[in-house]
Amino acid sequence: MRQLIYLAVALLLIVTIAYAKDDEDQVTYSDFTLNIGDRIDIGDYRAELIEIQSVKDGIAVMRISKVNGALDEQRAFLQNSANNFQGGSDSGGITITVTDIFDDQSAKVRVEYKESLGTAKKRTSERPAAMLNVPILSVQKSFDKNHISVGDEVKVTITVKNIGTGRAQDIKAEDLPPLPEFSYVVGYPPKIKDALDPGESDSAVYVMNAVKEGSIRVPAIQVSYTDSKKNVKSNNSEPFNILINPKSKANLILTLRPSGPITVDGKGMLNVSLSNQGEASATKVKVEGDIKPSDGLVATGLDKSFFEILPGMKENYSIELSGKKPGNYTVTLRSSFFGGDGAMIQEGRTEVVVLDREYKYLYLLLIIPVIIIVAWMYKRYREYKY
Amino acid sequence: MLNVLMLGVGQCGNRILDAINKEAFGGGGASKLAKYYLRPKFPSRVETLAINTAINDLKELKFTTAKDRLHVPNLHGVGANRNVGKQAFMDNRDVIMGEIEKRGDFDVAFVITSTSGGTGSSFSPLLINELKRQYRNITVITIAVLPFREEGSIYLQNAAFSMRELMDVEAEGIILADNQYMKRFSGDIASAYDKINSMIAQRLLFLIESLDSEMLSVTDLGDFKTVMNGGLRIGTLGFYKADRKNPSVKDAIENSLKPGNLLYPANVTDDAARAMIIVQGSREHLDVDEITKEMEKLSSCAGHVFKGIVVKKGHPKVLSIFTLASAPELEAIYAQAARAMQDEKEKRVRARKQLDDAFAHIEDLEEIY
Repeated sequence: MRQLIYLAVALLLIVTIAYAKDDEDQVTYSDFTLNIGDRIDIGDYRAELIEIQSVKDGIAVMRISKVNGALDEQRAFLQNSANNFQGGSDSGGITITVTDIFDDQSAKVRVEYKESLGTAKKRTSERPAAMLNVPILSVQKSFDKNHISVGDEVKVTITVKNIGTGRAQDIKAEDLPPLPEFSYVVGYPPKIKDALDPGESDSAVYVMNAVKEGSIRVPAIQVSYTDSKKNVKSNNSEPFNILINPKSKANLILTLRPSGPITVDGKGMLNVSLSNQGEASATKVKVEGDIKPSDGLVATGLDKSFFEILPGMKENYSIELSGKKPGNYTVTLRSSFFGGDGAMIQEGRTEVVVLDREYKYLYLLLIIPVIIIVAWMYKRYREYKY
Repeated sequence: MLNVLMLGVGQCGNRILDAINKEAFGGGGASKLAKYYLRPKFPSRVETLAINTAINDLKELKFTTAKDRLHVPNLHGVGANRNVGKQAFMDNRDVIMGEIEKRGDFDVAFVITSTSGGTGSSFSPLLINELKRQYRNITVITIAVLPFREEGSIYLQNAAFSMRELMDVEAEGIILADNQYMKRFSGDIASAYDKINSMIAQRLLFLIESLDSEMLSVTDLGDFKTVMNGGLRIGTLGFYKADRKNPSVKDAIENSLKPGNLLYPANVTDDAARAMIIVQGSREHLDVDEITKEMEKLSSCAGHVFKGIVVKKGHPKVLSIFTLASAPELEAIYAQAARAMQDEKEKRVRARKQLDDAFAHIEDLEEIY
């Protein structure tokens, strides 16, 4: 029995040693981020990233070689697909997997190998990075005015510029969906050139009309394009908010200020002020007036017209009045104009008084002689007073 | 143009001077207010000065300016005392003459005075002497007014002595106006005075106007002096204004010489020594032949008659000036004055005797208390 125990222990030791020997050459792996031209050295193996063939499809090209020339192979690697060389890592060879493709220039690579091959090391390429033909399109979308009211026309400008180094092709601008707050007048959808060389830009303008008030978020425009390798890329503008105010109208206030009462055969002025206190311009402003009763007060320059009166602006003019007959007269002025909501009419009126001819200082004709006579008589009285 | 000085001395002289000023405003038709709106219109350059010792008399004047009123300070008048009056004149001679001198140089001066009052009768002879002494070539005519006879003995006495003194001074003559004679023109004394004053004023202004006018037949200041030097150098004025009913110049001349139109009672036919007849009127009324005939008729009784014809629109107006060869009325005044003075003297003696007799009762008696 004792012997049996010794035998079992001996067998256990043998197995343990055997397993210990096997454990000393296990498969390990290392991850490296490689740029084009960089390589990984593992023992005699060398793995170099040649190019990123398709970011979209996840295909990178690597060259695998061995120092003694036993291996020199350039192979396209599908992303996340392991590729064995010389039996793979389990057989003393190496297994390489492209785990991630960052862009046209770099990818993440995993190398699996026996530890006995040593430690995998990355060798950065000393070659200058080759100038790549990569198109990059910047996209901008802008409105021509910041304050929009219902009824306003808005010009939307789409600007696409190739700020990359390669030609952008198959450019497609997608400005969707059409906003319900606007009616699209012309130029929609925007058309951009199919291709843009580096530094080249193109723009498209479309016009729309604000039809509904409210605060809206203007969506971004997305531009898709391909590079020379048919890699599909896209970019989009920044969305932004805009407020559509209620429809703006012109509010033309007509103010009439007579200079004061007029005497018969006297002259006076009627100062007229047209003040646009609305939000919209008053256009084709036409002022016409009449006087009641019609005879007895003559006005010169009663009718007037203005092409446009901007919001917050004022137009002044004077009407010359001439009194012919005493009385009270009503001067009425009517201004017709277009003020954002079709034709509008505003009216203003004032009273003008024509006085009887004033014989100013006429009383002096009586008083002065009386004073002279009294003074004269007083003087004579003094002469004769003893 | 004649430079005429008119001096009204004493109350009577002042009133006549005031009437002259009133006449210059348009005469009797002028209202009391005329002086307030009219200028006096004298025919020549006439300066007037009213002189009086009684300030109240000066205040009574209505048409004489204040600057033409000279008050000679002697309380309130001289009380009809000619001696006091003479002393007052001598005391204030420089003031009086200075006031006259201020008015410039003169060709003729009329000294208008009453012969009976205090100031006028005493000032006038002295004033005339001063005028003659100060103005070598001046013609001085005295307008002397004789009093109502019933005014009292002092007035008669004053008139008698004043007339004598006026006769003695070197004036060219005296024109007499007799209140007693003219009071018949009006019922009451006050209106008689006004009437007399107005008549004298009218005649004097007519005279001045005529002497200073362009005449058809010339008379001038020299002729006037000659007339006034005739006879007793005492004369008077007659005046007549024809009307539409009788515009005859012949009748006008005759009427101007009638006693009713004279200032002093005289019989021209008997008493006139020299005369001057000034006729004024429209040419159609001035028949020179008739005027000449009337002059010739007058010349037959008066020694010499000067004739002046002034053509001026209107009915004939005639002013007759004549000096007297005799003045019987004056003699009557002097006789009456003498009697009054004698009576006064006797009354005074009798009164003194009565008083002395009364005093005799208490002679040899002492006051007992």
